[in-house]
This record gives sequence, structure tokens and C-alpha cells, in this order.
Amino acid sequence: MSAILSWVATSGVVQGVIIGASLAFLTTILLLDSVARAETTTVNGWSSIRRAGQPGNGLLVRAALQKALPVVNVFEEAAYWTTSVDGAGKKLSGEQTYRLHFAAGHLPPNDAFWSLTATDTVGYIVSSPTGRSSVDDHSGLMTNPDGSVDILLQSQAPKGLAGNWLATPSGRFKLMLRAYLPGAAILDGSYHVPPVIRAS
Amino acid sequence: MNRLILKYPYPVTAIILLIFAWVVAQRLARGVEGIIPLAVAALVVWLLGTFVFIYFWPQITVGGFQRAILKRGFGGGPVPVNTLYAVPERSSQSALSGSLMAVGTDDVVYVGGWLDLKAGPSVLHVPEMAGRYYSVQFTDPTSGANVAYVGKRTTGTGAGAFLLCEQKWTGSVPGGMPRIEMPHHSALVIGRVFAADDDDRHVAYALAKQIQLTPLDNESRRPG
Repeated sequence: MSAILSWVATSGVVQGVIIGASLAFLTTILLLDSVARAETTTVNGWSSIRRAGQPGNGLLVRAALQKALPVVNVFEEAAYWTTSVDGAGKKLSGEQTYRLHFAAGHLPPNDAFWSLTATDTVGYIVSSPTGRSSVDDHSGLMTNPDGSVDILLQSQAPKGLAGNWLATPSGRFKLMLRAYLPGAAILDGSYHVPPVIRAS
Repeated sequence: MNRLILKYPYPVTAIILLIFAWVVAQRLARGVEGIIPLAVAALVVWLLGTFVFIYFWPQITVGGFQRAILKRGFGGGPVPVNTLYAVPERSSQSALSGSLMAVGTDDVVYVGGWLDLKAGPSVLHVPEMAGRYYSVQFTDPTSGANVAYVGKRTTGTGAGAFLLCEQKWTGSVPGGMPRIEMPHHSALVIGRVFAADDDDRHVAYALAKQIQLTPLDNESRRPG
């Protein structure tokens, strides 16, 4: 008995188990991330996953989507879009100023509400001492003369349009747009969120 | 610690892989045969482990929420099983505490709880929402799928009571109560009640507190 134990201790089986388990975890992460990417639709830098939280997904897909967006609503209850890049594909940074321009009548169609939130790269809201980290359809956004709406994304208060300011964290950040009870144009895929434009 | 790994996944992974490489190199230095038990064990665990992780990933994720709800709660202490807790703070206010709620949005009052129907059905009570957006989501812990919804989209905004039971439960449903079956005996419950602004938040919170679970037994003893 003690011979077996000492063989287990010295043979490297224990180390092998530890290494195997770690590699299994790493493989799982890489596999699930690539499956989640295949399930993700990205337009104008904004990514959304239609099958998240839905019953009937296979073993790989259900795991991948649970990793990408844990316990989120099904798409017809709430549509989520995230982006960590601007329209040109550059990473979003709090040192830059950005503008999100919704053409007249092109705010996310919905039967409940929409909201836009700035978070750190993991997804946590970063509390901003100066401004809101979230804007929505009931926060009194100013409309341009042509009916369009501009949302200003920057860490410092803008000179004009303060009511349309979304305070961004100082470093790299992520944006999340939600539309609860999304309208038909979102559900049929014809609605696209406009790109985040970096101000020159 | 979790946040550290989430924030710097590549350096953390690189360090772990370097340690493994060093362990293998140490063994190889003593001869190639010495590496065989390690290599075989690593390969078997690698293949089996990958399958196990993928199979159980939804359960591990939802189980994380289960532990967080039952052991830690959302700032008001642990939330007992088969009860719901309405979170008074906004998501952005809970950001500093590193709470689960900090990943949410400020536009809703969140309600959270863990349902377990092993001891019998529960009844979900919702107040009159008068057109206000709300939803109660039931997430199956095995698949991570949202198996049922109560709320504006699915059941409307009127006051109501819904029977929550296991599929195999065969008791009689009290008059007119809709029956909602859970594929397994437990479920994660997440409620959301729309709040337009800080003033409206008080109204929404008062409504969210009235979204409640009661055991079915109590129901039959209710007068009238």
C-alpha cells in the first residue's frame, strides 16, 4: 500500500492530473469563446447574440453563451448589444471623445425602454463622480433640428449638450446598449445600431 | 482575485503555463521514461476534463448565482431559498462593493431569489403593474436556459398568481391559477421592474417588493 502511495507521489501522476485539469480548463475557455464568436452577430462594431438564454441550444452552444452572457434575458425580452471598439475598429478609450449619432427615428425601437451604459472591460459599471454612466429614452435627451440624436461619450463634461453626455471610465471601456421588448425591426434583424464615431 | 484573473487573463495564464513547463523540464532532465506517468495522466484528465467543464458550464455559472444569493445576498444579507429580494440600490451604486448587481442597468429595480420545489410547489404573486414594464425570468440551472417568463410580454401587467411546480407534480391547481412547470426542481429567479428616474424608483421598488413567493400549502388555507 505504502509502495503504491509513494509511486503516486513520485511518479508525476499527481502533477499530470494538475496539468491536465488546467489544460482542460484552458481548452474549454478557448473552445467556448470561439463557439460564442460564431454565434455573435457584429454590425458597426456592435455585437449581439440572438440565441442567448434560449431553450434548446446544444451542449457546446449553451455553455458558450452562458460564458459570454451569463443568465441574460432571451432576445425577444431584451436585446443586448456590446462593443469595445469604435466604428473604425479601434479600442474604446476614456482618453478619446466619441459620438453616437442616431438618425431621426432610428433610436432602438422597443415596447418598454432602451438604455446605454458604459462599463469597464469586464462589464462592471464604473461609478463616475461627475456624470451619468447610463443614458436612456427617459433621461431628457436633446434632439437635433433634423430630428436626429447625438450621445456624447467622454470622461469630462462636454461644452454643449450636457444632457446628452454619457460619462466614460478613464481607461479602456465597453458599451452596452439594451432594448427591452425590442421592436419588430430589431427582431427581424433589419435594425442596426450606428457605429461609435471618434471625434477628431 | 477573480477580478484580477478576469482583467489580466493572458499574463496569469502565461505564468501558470511557465510553471508547468518548468515541472516537465525538471522531470525530463532525469530521463525520458520518467515523464510517461505524468504525460498519460495529463492527457486523460485533459480530454475528460474538457468534456466535464463544457457539460457542467451552465450549472457552474448558475450555481455561482445560487451561492451568491443564498450565502451573500444583494446587500440585505443572505436571501433564504423560496423568497425574493428586491434590491433598493441602483446598479451604479453597487459598483463599489463589487456586487453582482453592478453588471446591471439603472433603469430597472432588480429582484433576485432561488426557487426550490423539492418540498412542493410555490406560488408567485405579482401586483397590478398598470402597464409598467416588468418581467420575472426563471433560469434552469442545468441548461442555463430561460424556461419561463412572467411579465408584460408573456402574461401582461395585471395582478396575478402563478403556480410554480415540477413537471411530475400532479396535485390540483387552485382555481384558475396558471401552472408553470420547471424542468428541474430548482430555478434562478430574476425580476426586473422598470424605473424611469429617481422619483419613479420609489414606486418601482414598492411594486418590486410585492413580487413574492409563497408555498402552495399556505394558499389553500387562505380565507376566500
